[in-house]
Amino acid sequence: MSIEPITGRYLTIEIGGTPRRIYFEEAGQGRAVLCLHTAGADTRQWRHLMNDAEVTADHRLIAFDMPWHGKSLPPEGFETQEYLLTTEAYIETVLAVVAGLGLERPILAGCSMGGRIALQLAALHPEQFSGFIAIEASDFQAAWYDIDWFHRPDAHGGEMGAALVSANISPYAPNAERWNTLWMFMQSGPGVFRGDLSFYTRDDSLIGRLGQIDTGKTPVHLLVGAYDLTCTPEDAKRTAAAIPGATVSVMDELGHFPMSEHPQGFRPFFLDALARMPRVAVQAA
Amino acid sequence: MIDRFQDIQAWLEDQPHLLRLGRLFSETVLIEVEGEEIYLTFEKGRIVSVEAGPSRKTPWRFALRTDAEALEQFWQARPAPGFHDIFGLAKIGRGRIDGDILCLVKNLRFFKEVMALARHTEEGVA
Repeated sequence: MSIEPITGRYLTIEIGGTPRRIYFEEAGQGRAVLCLHTAGADTRQWRHLMNDAEVTADHRLIAFDMPWHGKSLPPEGFETQEYLLTTEAYIETVLAVVAGLGLERPILAGCSMGGRIALQLAALHPEQFSGFIAIEASDFQAAWYDIDWFHRPDAHGGEMGAALVSANISPYAPNAERWNTLWMFMQSGPGVFRGDLSFYTRDDSLIGRLGQIDTGKTPVHLLVGAYDLTCTPEDAKRTAAAIPGATVSVMDELGHFPMSEHPQGFRPFFLDALARMPRVAVQAA
Repeated sequence: MIDRFQDIQAWLEDQPHLLRLGRLFSETVLIEVEGEEIYLTFEKGRIVSVEAGPSRKTPWRFALRTDAEALEQFWQARPAPGFHDIFGLAKIGRGRIDGDILCLVKNLRFFKEVMALARHTEEGVA
């Protein structure tokens, strides 16, 4: 028997003028690191790092489920709404969580769409953070698939989504973690993966903002897995090249969900990324 | 190449979870390897025939077109990036998927796992 050090609680914030009940988890103490999950998934993607005593010895890792995801409820009246995530709502949500939890300039670590919004925040709200770890993140990805496939009455969107994103998991990933990663997609609420992909594959506003990121004040480090078909190493390198001073590491044996699909393989890259982030925020906190 | 798919046909019979996943899948799939046509006819998750082409009379629901070397790489235990998935083959320009893609996507896990039955594992062939 074992009890993990992760604790989960709920936070109510306002987004778009309406209250949202947000589920968040945390572990560790020290420098705060706010972790953002990918599309179609939730906070569980970060559990391995949150259970890693070496990481949490001097870092407070916090992850939250976006509204509609995991244990965060959709807004009241969702039954008649079409969920379509926007850059503006995503930014508002992250900033509201930072304020709601009283975090002082945390490091922001996001994967996939979480990495995309991390770079948007690096451009638009850098003063709120001490640095950015953008995992499987790129300037823009047009969809090579039809996002409507994943929300239809005659098929299970979660099962189809999981089968599709399995293309982005490395063959080096331990089988159990491959399937734990896919399970989250299978559990995703109807239309949620589609709504996330709408943001990820249709909003290209980041492209014109990359040049305004000041890595002298807030460093940006990108991590990308060689087996990621969605955000390829070429996509991440192109994105990094457009951000003066940004750095990028290619992870040869990892895919699109590195912290979840292959935690041991991802660990050294995440520790290296943390080491690149400034320590000033710790003293300020 | 057709013998590899005949092996897959036989191995599928020993995979009860795939037969369960594919229980609603009764379609013909065209595999084209450097012009060599192979028609896989599925009936409720079983491959009931593996027929060599060419054929202009056999209707198929979707097709995977690739080359022999790419398929051999796909069947390695740990394929190189891009060769690890049928959509990866398409992404790196070594494969093309045509036809009723939605039918494929609705049965994607099943079809991908059937295709991967010839993948080598540390214990030998899967």
